Amino acid sequence: MAGVVVKGRFPRRRIIRVVSTNVFRYLFRGAARNWLRNIGGTAPALSSMTLLLLLSGLVGLVGFALHNLEQVQAGQASMLHVYLRDAAPYVDIDALQARLQKDPRIASVAYTSKADALARAQGTPGLPQLAAATDSNPFPASLDVRVKNIEDVAAIDGLVRNDIAVDAAQPTSYDRGAYQRIQAVLFGFAVAGFTFLALLGFVAVTVTMNSIRAAIHSRRDEVTIMQLVGAPRWMVRGPFVVEGAITGALSGATAALITFGLAMLGIAEGSSTFTQFAPGVTVTVAAIAGVIVFAAGLCLGSGSSLVSVRRHLES
Amino acid sequence: MTRAYGPRLALDDVHLALEPGELTFLVGPSGAGKTTLLKLINREIRPTKGEVWVDGIAAHKIKASRVSELRRRVGVVFQDYKLLPRLTAKENVALALQVVDLRVSDEEASERAIDALEAVGLGDRGESFPDQLSGGQQQRVAVARAVVAQPPLLIADEPTGNLDVDTSWEMMDLFADIAAFGTAVLIATHNVEIVTRLQRRVLTLVEGRLVRDQPAGRTGRMEWLALS
Repeated sequence: MAGVVVKGRFPRRRIIRVVSTNVFRYLFRGAARNWLRNIGGTAPALSSMTLLLLLSGLVGLVGFALHNLEQVQAGQASMLHVYLRDAAPYVDIDALQARLQKDPRIASVAYTSKADALARAQGTPGLPQLAAATDSNPFPASLDVRVKNIEDVAAIDGLVRNDIAVDAAQPTSYDRGAYQRIQAVLFGFAVAGFTFLALLGFVAVTVTMNSIRAAIHSRRDEVTIMQLVGAPRWMVRGPFVVEGAITGALSGATAALITFGLAMLGIAEGSSTFTQFAPGVTVTVAAIAGVIVFAAGLCLGSGSSLVSVRRHLES
Repeated sequence: MTRAYGPRLALDDVHLALEPGELTFLVGPSGAGKTTLLKLINREIRPTKGEVWVDGIAAHKIKASRVSELRRRVGVVFQDYKLLPRLTAKENVALALQVVDLRVSDEEASERAIDALEAVGLGDRGESFPDQLSGGQQQRVAVARAVVAQPPLLIADEPTGNLDVDTSWEMMDLFADIAAFGTAVLIATHNVEIVTRLQRRVLTLVEGRLVRDQPAGRTGRMEWLALS
């Protein structure tokens, strides 16, 4: 074998393993150990962040439901029901329907008989009792007019209100300002929700930053020694950021589970009324909300601790 | 180099160079600027004016994110040892190896830490925690930690300040051995007896100014130092 050069493989895999082990030890294991040791100081941050994330999740789901509700309301507001006299002859009704169909502002016109109106009312909460209270059918026949632009509904209402085929006592379903009122309520809810969450978010971030600052001060000697023996900056700062991430992840996981659980409970307990009042909130939407809450917790925890470390841990 | 704290000059236009293998004492009364000088070398602070070069690295302008590169080249020993109390002596020494080079495995770090502890006479105390060791032994562990990565420069701030006379002499023998292997050693001290008896190079700081730079073997009795 003399003179034969044996080419040894560079032990890259071993180096990767050693580096990974050391990074895990100094960054993650050390952070987890210190987090557990410092759990008393972390508890306020943990609870305030959990509360914030839970409320964010719930407000998010409610906001999503209200957004869907607003879409439904917008659809309903552009639908004008023109109620017909019970004794109105078909020729008058046909004439009115033809006149409306020719109007370029109108997308569609559909006739609903008294029987269809009664059937539709059976599926609406509260109305079946009204129908049962009388022997006759109290719901009038109508022309259901879909208006292209919601702003034109008032003009169409004025156009049909005095027609001979239309019920003089209750001519149409038009309610001036109803849609605007709903929008105003939704806008108020959104502003109040965001303000409340911003305030709670500020508190949670401040508490988390302070808990990390307290951790930095309690381990001041250790930090100094690490710096003096030449530890790179990420190795000194990293464990504190990981500690914040652990706090955020735990808070996020707890809040996500509760959010998902409450949404599931709502869906299971009152399936008919729930879909009525929280349209679009399904199991998938609840699961997505849970994932978002968890990710937000992770980002919030690591982000606020990063800010705290940059502010309080000099090199 | 010059370093000011507000209007007060802690170091005033100090020029000096340390050679490999040279053991140098830094003496002067309290507040003369000894610790400031050591902090400038280790880039714990920056000079107000001037330059600090360590093994080819410009410590005076190195970015905070790269300070670790400088500190790998400077071993540091403190009066209060600065050992991590929850780590054993061996782990304290091994830590200094692994934080500067993540490619050092546990086995290698452990072997080298034991070698360093044996070199300072503590080969059998590797598993002891700092609070199980005497002051002198803790200082030896600190020295082992400072030299385990074989830095070209070792600085020590009052390393015998907490030690008895016999242990102080043992520490000085240790520093002399380290210098003999080619490391430049700079020791800030108040211990006149050690300085006069060892007859090494002595830098004297007074009110931030380098007033004397006496080469090895010419330090005399230095009564003035005792008086200061």
